[in-house]
Amino acid sequence: MAQAVQKLVAKVPTMVGAAVSYSKPRLATFWYYARVELVPPTPAEIPKAMAGFSNLIKGFQTGRLGQTTVRDAFRNGLVATDVLMWFYIGEIIGKGGIVGYDV
Amino acid sequence: MVPPVQVSPLIKTARWSALLVGIIYGKQRYDYLKPIAAEERRVEEAEKKLREEQERIYKQLAEGNSFNSIQCNLILFL
Repeated sequence: MAQAVQKLVAKVPTMVGAAVSYSKPRLATFWYYARVELVPPTPAEIPKAMAGFSNLIKGFQTGRLGQTTVRDAFRNGLVATDVLMWFYIGEIIGKGGIVGYDV
Repeated sequence: MVPPVQVSPLIKTARWSALLVGIIYGKQRYDYLKPIAAEERRVEEAEKKLREEQERIYKQLAEGNSFNSIQCNLILFL
C-alpha cells in the first residue's frame, strides 16, 4: 500500500508537466478568441449599445420585427439564451455555491 | 484559424450587465434566506427535544406497564 502511494507520488510531477503541455496551446486559442469576443464593453461602446437597444425597440414598434426570418429569429433566440446564462453564472458567483443556496 | 468575431456592443453590454445583476441578485437572496434557515433550524431543534422527551416518557410508561402486567400474571399463575 505504501509502495503504491510512493509510486503515485513520484509520478505526479510528470503528470503535472503533461497536463500543462496539453493545456498550453488550448489556453492560447482560448485567450486568442476571448480577448476579442468576451471582453466587457469599453465606455465608448456603451452609447452604441444604447443606440442598438433603441433600434430594437423602434423595430418592435414599427412591426419590422415581424419580418425576421425563422433563421434569424432562431439565431437571436440563441443569443438571448446566452445572455440569460450569464445571469445564472452571476447568481452562482453571488450565492457562493453551484447548486442551491448554502444556508 | 477563424478570426474572432466582432461582437456587437449591445450584446456585450447585455452580457456583462446580466452577470452583474446576477451577482447582486444571488448575494441579496442568500442574505435573505440565511436568517430564515437559521430560525427554522432553531425551531426544529426545540421541537426535536420536546419530541424526544415525550418519547422517553412514553417508553418509561410502556416498560412500567409491561413490568407490572408480568408481575400480575405471575401472581395469578402462582
